[in-house]
Amino acid sequence: MRMQRLKKEGKINIPTASMSDIAFLLLIFFMVSTVFRKEIGLKVTLPEARATERIVKTRNIAHVYIDKNGRISVDDVIVQPKDVTLRFKLKLAENPAIISHVKADKRVKYDYVDKVLEALREAKALRVVFATDYKR
Amino acid sequence: MPILPKRKLPEEAEIPTASMADIAFLLIIFFMLTTVFTRDKGLKIVLPEKTQQVVKIKGERIIKISINDRGEIFLGEEPITLADLKVRVQQRIKDYKQAHGGKDPLVVIRTNVDAPYERMIDVFDVIKQIPEARAVSLASIRTGGG
Repeated sequence: MRMQRLKKEGKINIPTASMSDIAFLLLIFFMVSTVFRKEIGLKVTLPEARATERIVKTRNIAHVYIDKNGRISVDDVIVQPKDVTLRFKLKLAENPAIISHVKADKRVKYDYVDKVLEALREAKALRVVFATDYKR
Repeated sequence: MPILPKRKLPEEAEIPTASMADIAFLLIIFFMLTTVFTRDKGLKIVLPEKTQQVVKIKGERIIKISINDRGEIFLGEEPITLADLKVRVQQRIKDYKQAHGGKDPLVVIRTNVDAPYERMIDVFDVIKQIPEARAVSLASIRTGGG
């Protein structure tokens, strides 16, 4: 019964000609939306917070790392707190909408964080996000 | 000059496109596997601008939260636990708003420079969870004045 009917309808084929168009479209989407991480940074254990929000504008982010020994890293260079000002001034000249993402280790003394915040204020980089993890 | 024999026209040049999709999908899979999704997240704050003139704020408008070098928290001058902080600050904001016609008070978190950063984030997290606390400022205390 079934065989007979199939024969009648002939060969069924799915049009695959536009498959590559779809694939390339997806490919281009992925390539455009991917932001490559440029820096390695320092090893930090982030503090946890319930009010953690996601930053949507990924392209405007500049990272500052502070590890548990108080070392500060910007663009993979260990810097002194006062050098942060100069580096962020340059970043702001390139992109005025920059958001500073302070990734500080939870065990670090507040002193180091305070110095970085002061340096950012000096550079007029006023939009700051303290990196935290979601609290479970 | 020898006359070249007339070449036969080729039938029709064709580029095989059947495997194009395979190539594209292969590239997609490669990109998907090599992409590391790093979602940047955290607690947002806008720092105050550095100005020459000193902005004077009435003492009563400030809700002061202090963290000492041992990580103990004080609301004003009295010690407080992290669990109580939210309710107490919420109450203080409400009282101030009622007394001053809906004006927002300023919540100041003063952290001792020797306190662990985690404590300051703990307190800041609590303040962030209060929707009424719109004005938040960070300050530091250096032992021996400041």
